[in-house]
Amino acid sequence: MPLTSIILLAATLAFAAAVVQALAALKSGRWKQGNTQLVLMAAGFALQTAFLYYRGEEVGQCPMKSLADILVFIGWSVVLLYFLVGSGFRLSLLGLFTAPLVTIMQGIAFAQGFKPYAVKGKINALVELHAAVALIAYAGFALACITGVMYLVQERLLKQHRIGGLFYQLPPIQGLAKAIRRLVGLGLVLLSAALAISFALHTPVSNPKLVFSWIVWGLYAVIAFLMWRHVTSPRRTAWLAVLGFVLPFISLWIVTHA
Amino acid sequence: MPEPTPNDSIRATGSLVCVGLNYKTTPVEVRERLAFPEAVVPQAAKNIRELPGFAESVVLSTCNRVELYASHELPEAMQSHEALRDYLVRHFQLQPEHAEAMVLYKLDAAEAARHLFRVVSGLDSMVLGETEIFGQVKAAYKTALDTGSTGKTLNKLFQQAFAVGKKVRNETTIQRGSTSVGSVAVDLAERVHDLKECRVMLVGAGEMSRTCAQSLLSRGAKSIIVSNRSYDKAVELATEMKGTALKFDEWEHALHEVDVIISSTSAPHFVIKKDQIEQVMRRRRWEPLLIIDIAVPRDVEPAVNDLEGVYLYDIDGLQAIADGNRRERERQLVVCEQIIEDQLSKFGFVAE
Repeated sequence: MPLTSIILLAATLAFAAAVVQALAALKSGRWKQGNTQLVLMAAGFALQTAFLYYRGEEVGQCPMKSLADILVFIGWSVVLLYFLVGSGFRLSLLGLFTAPLVTIMQGIAFAQGFKPYAVKGKINALVELHAAVALIAYAGFALACITGVMYLVQERLLKQHRIGGLFYQLPPIQGLAKAIRRLVGLGLVLLSAALAISFALHTPVSNPKLVFSWIVWGLYAVIAFLMWRHVTSPRRTAWLAVLGFVLPFISLWIVTHA
Repeated sequence: MPEPTPNDSIRATGSLVCVGLNYKTTPVEVRERLAFPEAVVPQAAKNIRELPGFAESVVLSTCNRVELYASHELPEAMQSHEALRDYLVRHFQLQPEHAEAMVLYKLDAAEAARHLFRVVSGLDSMVLGETEIFGQVKAAYKTALDTGSTGKTLNKLFQQAFAVGKKVRNETTIQRGSTSVGSVAVDLAERVHDLKECRVMLVGAGEMSRTCAQSLLSRGAKSIIVSNRSYDKAVELATEMKGTALKFDEWEHALHEVDVIISSTSAPHFVIKKDQIEQVMRRRRWEPLLIIDIAVPRDVEPAVNDLEGVYLYDIDGLQAIADGNRRERERQLVVCEQIIEDQLSKFGFVAE
């Protein structure tokens, strides 16, 4: 097995261990905010970073061309954002919801396989920047999706009077609703920046990618507007944040296979 | 050379003793007479240390307990018990009949350490698992430390006790969930809103709603509005809670401005209805609303809970949560006791 695959496997195992540890603690009713989650997430992030570095060396550019590479890059961005915004939440609990998503994304990446690809001509820094910013924007949408799941779980517990271990660990639903709005806003700003960069490119980004980016931008612009104007209830906007992420997720598969 | 026994480490620096009374042994009317005012505690600790044969002391005095921890070099443990009992009688100038009626527990060595570990962990508290006692013991120890009343034995014992208390809290859920209706209401409010931004309305000024509102305010709720059929009573309660009073025919107009409604009127019919709250939610732009209905018969139409963003809890619902939390704490008690026993072995108080 190549070194990059070994590193990524170790990263995936670290995130999977974070999921197992959290689920076991929740099942036993003794969920506590501890360092174990944080250490596992940090280890996973360090290994992801190492993977991206060695994979970049291997393919001679920022590894964002194949679906497998893109999924790992988004997974890395999700964990990065998790560490950046986590202090505003219950950090380890956000980890409980983040770790499964990253584990699944990296599992799909493994299933796809990491094939070598040739560099076509000279690397354009703007193209690389455009792609990187767009993928970090997608990570923002992924985190909004995760926060949406947290909102829906807490909302359900409150409605059904199921007051137990997880209930006490989840943040207030009002705070979660605000976080969803901010993460959608962050993703939208980053995606707008990525699209703005595309106007300055001498070598235009291939059409399907741009078209899908604009569709995703349009979808999240509508979601952001609905949230900003309080047109629908926070529960519905949470559903929009969760279901909305399906589109960018599918679009990645389409554009990398186009 | 004989093997050291578990208690040798204590004996080498003085024997450990604890004499005290608490809410289980002594009624409040006696406890209040035997409580050490905060300003007197440092001197009391010094006085006990200066008793013949005594080397160290810590005085723990709270509303639920008065306990004297000490180390001594007296030949018999019973002598230390009597000395501490006599000190209490002298200090509080008890009449012989009161002194006779005073029921004290007298614990030595491992028993005293076990008791302190249980106290620090909240296992000996009136509300099982409460955390306030941890700070109270810390403060008592610091006071004794500052007056030079502690030495090797008590310093070590109290440091171990704090470590055990933290371990119990970190490894169990003994302190999780509230066990009173008022505190459950606060827990719910905290999971719906940021309490610092939370505006509360009381509809009806009953005793239970007053308790809930006070709990919310003590945990940082932003403001309170009180509405009652008797406007004077509303004003009185609002003044007490630094809030605003509202005439009873006006409370509906202010509903959209608040985040938590606590209703406790004596009306025989529903006072808060679904249609009404539906309109309120539109005006609130779907900001979540917690409604606590502690009236019997109920004030709030149950269908209100079907509305999006509205979370309705009645008195039975709150009581069920409090009971569930109490049962959960009792289940955790076994785990906590085991941790304490393990730590007693680890620190050499009992044989493994």
